[in-house]
Amino acid sequence: MYRKRQARLSVPCHNFAACAARMAPMSDDKPRALCCVPCEISRQQFLRAALALAASPLLRFLPAQAAEGLEVSEVAPGVFVHQGRYELQSPENRGDMANASFVVGTDSVAVIDTLGSAVAGRELRAAIRAVTDKPIRYVINTHMHPDHVFGNAAFKEDNPTFVGHYKLARGLGSRAERYLAINKTMLGDAAFDGIEVILPTLAVENSTTLDLGGRSLVLETQRTAHTDNDLTITDTATDTLFLSDLLFSVHVPTLDGSIKGWLALLDDLAQKKAARVVPGHGPHAMELTQALAPEHRYLASIAADVRQLIKDGKTLEDAIKTAGFSERDAWKLFDHYHVRNVTAAFAELEWE
Amino acid sequence: MLSNSKRTVAMPLPLNSLGYAASAAGLAALLLLAPAARAEEDVWPTLKTQAFGDRAIQAEDGMVVLDAPLTAEDAALVPLTVRVPPQVAQKLKSLTIFIDKNPDPKVATLHFGPAAGKGGERSFSTRVRIDSFSHVRAVLETEDGVLHMASKFVQAAGGCGAMNAKDPDTENEGLGKLLVKTFPPALDANPIWSAQVMLKHPNSNGMQRDIDTGGYIPARFVKQMVVKRDGELVFDMESTFSISTNPNFRFTFGRGSDNSLDVAITDTDGTKFDAKSVPSGS
Repeated sequence: MYRKRQARLSVPCHNFAACAARMAPMSDDKPRALCCVPCEISRQQFLRAALALAASPLLRFLPAQAAEGLEVSEVAPGVFVHQGRYELQSPENRGDMANASFVVGTDSVAVIDTLGSAVAGRELRAAIRAVTDKPIRYVINTHMHPDHVFGNAAFKEDNPTFVGHYKLARGLGSRAERYLAINKTMLGDAAFDGIEVILPTLAVENSTTLDLGGRSLVLETQRTAHTDNDLTITDTATDTLFLSDLLFSVHVPTLDGSIKGWLALLDDLAQKKAARVVPGHGPHAMELTQALAPEHRYLASIAADVRQLIKDGKTLEDAIKTAGFSERDAWKLFDHYHVRNVTAAFAELEWE
Repeated sequence: MLSNSKRTVAMPLPLNSLGYAASAAGLAALLLLAPAARAEEDVWPTLKTQAFGDRAIQAEDGMVVLDAPLTAEDAALVPLTVRVPPQVAQKLKSLTIFIDKNPDPKVATLHFGPAAGKGGERSFSTRVRIDSFSHVRAVLETEDGVLHMASKFVQAAGGCGAMNAKDPDTENEGLGKLLVKTFPPALDANPIWSAQVMLKHPNSNGMQRDIDTGGYIPARFVKQMVVKRDGELVFDMESTFSISTNPNFRFTFGRGSDNSLDVAITDTDGTKFDAKSVPSGS
């Protein structure tokens, strides 16, 4: 349907004997993914397996082969997601700390976020090329943060249209020097090498539809929430909704926009229908009905505590020691981002 | 506490003197992690001489205490509190706050008046931008003319060039809104009241990028705040651009008859913002 070429996919295999028995011919020029014990299967075998799994109410996560060892999973036909690590950027992770996705149509490929360095972006590109030779026509950045845009340079050779919220250019452009300096320090010279700030060549106001052949992506700008330039994407063929950093799971949310706007937006998103959602940080894919609750609880907890503290005449210093700390054990990287979130929430809510 | 507080809202003069369009305000991001050489350089001896000549300063003698975070999560919004412990009986003459490594290290100087009060813990809090890892200092001059200093090293960077607003389109909404709240002490016997002043103002320091012009957003910040209680001076503050966006001050004042505050703020454009708290006890 979306791919004529016979692709090789790998799935986790927990039974070595069965795995060896089923092993399809392997191509020697492609190193195997390191993240799991893969079994090479043919596309047809994969489809049969997928059919068998289709009856399952659970989402399927099928890690696919990646040339540079970058793990990607096909969460729906033609929809591939790489799961970033729950870490701060470092020389070791090369800025691979956010989810990045790609969607394959009959004519072309769209990339959704490019990881946090040109090095990681090239690994993502290699993972795409391990799956399809179709031209990469669109590189979509869901918002301005470096872990989602600093891999853009890896796709320059494809001469794609870079797509983003119409406020992305201002947000990223005005922060670029600081982002570059911070990432140079944190990534180190090797992983920082090649990073460029590439702003959108197609700015989305309200909504835009991109045709990949056989499927379309619907891009919608959102109100100020995680940032002031959040973009959501729906793959119409599989009803997959990419929420990017409007949805954090496991990784503590980071607030760089408006806590009131974000909470209001979550109420709107809960009304949507989607077969699955892809978070910006978290698992490859989640069920919409369950995905939003923890993040809503976290933000609502901060908002409630901060409002009470303000009402009681308490200060920002009081707030950063107490507000939202009931959430501490529920999130990774809490200690790195929570105080900043409370600070931002306090500065916003004290003007209510 | 707040149920007892008083507030008034004052709207400012016309804002057509704004050096930038509200919709265009790209704000931004520029100075970052300081070069190591600069971080090592001790600028304090020079600053000290400029501010106080050859006067002696008693460091960390307990007369003044500085609360500042060891690491600041948001370098553009670092809370600082200067406290004068209750056992300090003297009246206060002045307080100067420094951030050694900021482009203009002097954050603010307060000259206290008769309504500053004594007989309990006195304090002054605000939020500042910190440009690179730096010592932050509070130098208090007591009535006897002696200088006392408390300092902290704060690990924060990039605060001066950092964005003012998460959403520049809304940054100037309500600019000039000025809130004055007063808080009576928990115990009636305590002669020290506290107050909060909040001003909606970008306090632009001239170091924020304007993405639309490729240049910088012109500096425009609060340069003076005069606080009076029942017509008597609490303090007269001169300040610089190290004060964060939407300047926010917490401070104490001595109990008076009405405990009504008048706050008059002037920014570098000459725009004046005034607000008065409602008389208390009514």
